[in-house]
Amino acid sequence: MAASAAGPRVGGLLASCREKSATAKPDPLARVYDVEIDWNDPQRVISLNYQQAQGKRVFYTYCVWCHADATPAGPSNRSNVTGTPPLANDGSVLNPLSDELLRNTITLGGSAMGKSPMMPPWGKTLKQDEIQAVIEFMRAIAQPPYKPPAHPGPQYSVK
Amino acid sequence: MAAEEMGKVSKRLRLAFAVSSVLFLIALAVSPVKDLLQEWKTYKRGFVRLAQQRPDTKRLLADYHMGIDQIWIPQMDVVDRCVTCHQGITQASLLDPSVAQPFRAHPTIPHRATEWGCVVCHRGQGLATEVKEAHETTLAWEQPLLPIRYVQASCGTCHRADMPETPQLNQGRELLARLNCVGCHRLGGITRPAMLGPDLTSIGAKASREWIYKWLKEPRTVTDSNGNVTVNGVENEQEPRMPQFPLNEKELRAFSAYLSTLKGKAIEPAGFDSRVVAGWEKKPDTVDQGEVRFRQMFCTTCHSVAVTRAGETKLIGGENGPELTKVGSKVSQDWLVAWLRDPQASLPHSLMPRYRWSDEDLYKVTRYVMTKLTDPDLLSIVPKLGEASPEEVKLGQRLFVEKGCASCHVVKGLSPPTDFGPDLSSLGRKTVSQLEFGRAAIPQTLIAYIQAKITNPGSVNPAARMPQYHLTPASLDPLTTALLSMTGGPPNSGMAQLVVPAPQPQFRPAGEFGELYERYKCYVCHRFNGYGGTLAPDLTFEGSRGQRAWLIAFLKNPQTLRPTLTLRMPQFNMNDQEASTLADYLGLVMQSPAVKPEAVSPKNYTPEMASLGKQLYEVKYQCQSCHTIGASGGYVGPNLSNVGNWMNAAWIAEWLRNPQGLAPGSIEPRRSYTDQEVTALTSYLLTLRENGPARGAPTAAGAGRGR
Repeated sequence: MAASAAGPRVGGLLASCREKSATAKPDPLARVYDVEIDWNDPQRVISLNYQQAQGKRVFYTYCVWCHADATPAGPSNRSNVTGTPPLANDGSVLNPLSDELLRNTITLGGSAMGKSPMMPPWGKTLKQDEIQAVIEFMRAIAQPPYKPPAHPGPQYSVK
Repeated sequence: MAAEEMGKVSKRLRLAFAVSSVLFLIALAVSPVKDLLQEWKTYKRGFVRLAQQRPDTKRLLADYHMGIDQIWIPQMDVVDRCVTCHQGITQASLLDPSVAQPFRAHPTIPHRATEWGCVVCHRGQGLATEVKEAHETTLAWEQPLLPIRYVQASCGTCHRADMPETPQLNQGRELLARLNCVGCHRLGGITRPAMLGPDLTSIGAKASREWIYKWLKEPRTVTDSNGNVTVNGVENEQEPRMPQFPLNEKELRAFSAYLSTLKGKAIEPAGFDSRVVAGWEKKPDTVDQGEVRFRQMFCTTCHSVAVTRAGETKLIGGENGPELTKVGSKVSQDWLVAWLRDPQASLPHSLMPRYRWSDEDLYKVTRYVMTKLTDPDLLSIVPKLGEASPEEVKLGQRLFVEKGCASCHVVKGLSPPTDFGPDLSSLGRKTVSQLEFGRAAIPQTLIAYIQAKITNPGSVNPAARMPQYHLTPASLDPLTTALLSMTGGPPNSGMAQLVVPAPQPQFRPAGEFGELYERYKCYVCHRFNGYGGTLAPDLTFEGSRGQRAWLIAFLKNPQTLRPTLTLRMPQFNMNDQEASTLADYLGLVMQSPAVKPEAVSPKNYTPEMASLGKQLYEVKYQCQSCHTIGASGGYVGPNLSNVGNWMNAAWIAEWLRNPQGLAPGSIEPRRSYTDQEVTALTSYLLTLRENGPARGAPTAAGAGRGR
């Protein structure tokens, strides 16, 4: 009775072991904290680390409304803003700007940086590490891809 | 001779001694060599080499010692030796992805790695000092590392409340609750709601046997070969709450027979005023007018309906209530009228508000539902069923309990089984040897097991009673994460102190307001002191924000404050007295201590202040990027065209100073206005008034616009 009950189980186990070696291939995304679908190419999946994923969360809460064409609510506010805001993945505009410049623009707002006053300052709403995370997220989704400068240093900044 | 022999012996002995001492020496050397070549020591030496190549060698090696390092957290029973090899986890200069593992620094997270170690979040074996044993399932130590994709599960083992940093876990918990998993399983942190599925005591009076058959065979959801989920032929992203059970023809007949005999309460005839019926019956546009009213009342805020526009059919509407596209083919008009007049009379725990209907509106809307929200082909897949035989009814009743239907649906007189499905409150702690994989061709891991089980319960256990869900890939990972976070109660009292419990707020006011609050189910969409839904604005401080006259006008005729929203407050047809009761209660009770009406004096505001405010609004701060006034502006924030009639001065002033202080999580940026600027902006905003207390009724054209 016991043997007959154990028989198929052992058989099943053996079979599954055999099949395991055939099918168990490592999932490339298992080691990835989060992903974002490339805005320009829906087939391309961009993997995000912890910090970039936090940036993604902050971005989709605060920034997406004016810096993306599709928003969680549907229409984008981008067309209502004069001096059309750059898309967050627009590498041709954002890649040449240093992290420090982006950080200052987000923290202090557009008018402090000689840009459009429609960009509000976020320094009292977001924490510094959240702002850094948003920058990391934008760098991760940039198209053309962002390459960090060989010699990191201040490009131009406001003290 | 003797000496000669002695010499011979001693020569042989000496040789034996020599050989054995060499052997002994080798044997003695094995241990130190083995020790020297230990895996973790190679990583120790590797780290020194790495540090020597980098400019900050001294700092990197400040805490170095050639031995096993460990983090001991007695209250969590954690001894964590991972830092023996992962020596750089706290070194900021090693954060770069180009640094090879195991030396890379850990990204900055809210917890310090030196305080919490590694296995608390990543699982695996903290005591192990070999790579394989620490990271993978081995014979002795089964707990493998948690793949990073599911690491939020570990946050959930202590943090029982949702956190913004763990979106995947939050989504998974929400799904577990929405899919009614607690109907059959025990799950940590998810309590059984008052009602899971509808009470079926009177289902036979509501729907026909044929309809029940169709529903059970194909509970709205059909997945096509491409994996697209359709609801009544309409594509839908959300899984309906009623899952698909594997039922054969005999069982379908038995169920439909049994359920169609459940006629607990007879339906009262609609009982319309005969003049109303006579007036509307013959009109050619009754159904169209009913549709207009249906849209004006914003039924679609909670119920979705399939709409075809430009050849594309989409479900539009909310998910609080059931989808209604074909409800006219299910219920009778008499049932519908009785339901709309008093939903709680049929279903005491229903979330549907008790609208104040005029006979005219009720007649028109029910005519619309019964005429337009129908499908003549809905029951085409159903065979001729005929009268229910006593055997079928008996079998149906037995199956109803055996298949677990009674776990979610109440039928008066039937006692539900308790703990119908296995207890899952410590599923995340299970090891591979505790799981039955059957013949499933999947990797032997807990994660693969969970995903196989929830996507196809039969794959790991052909005899599974669990119904079939059609989960999208986007909900599979969140569900897995939430299930992995179910690791049971804390293993010891020290751990119990570390658990951050989920708050269990309740807001159940009594009295006249309490009755209206229940009647209109305000808490289904709005939040009060942390209790209630999140679909609509939090009303915890509404008394400080809204002017009484505006509130009354709004409650009687809700209008659009945020143009991009498709789901809006329904029109309840409240009377004046109800609206004032609600406004009075909100004004008296739902106040923020930060908003101080005595600190602002709108009477002293001058036109100069207002014009300065207008300057600030339009030029310096350019608020129009997000807010609309009149016809121009952005639509991220609410429309401010009527803010002077809407908000109190003190609220506006405090909101400008610190929006997040009044609404945590608000996306309005907190800025550094001076006191003078706050006063100027407030006085300007107060001048923005539209004529009359409220605008006209929303038009049908703007209603139910799709996303």
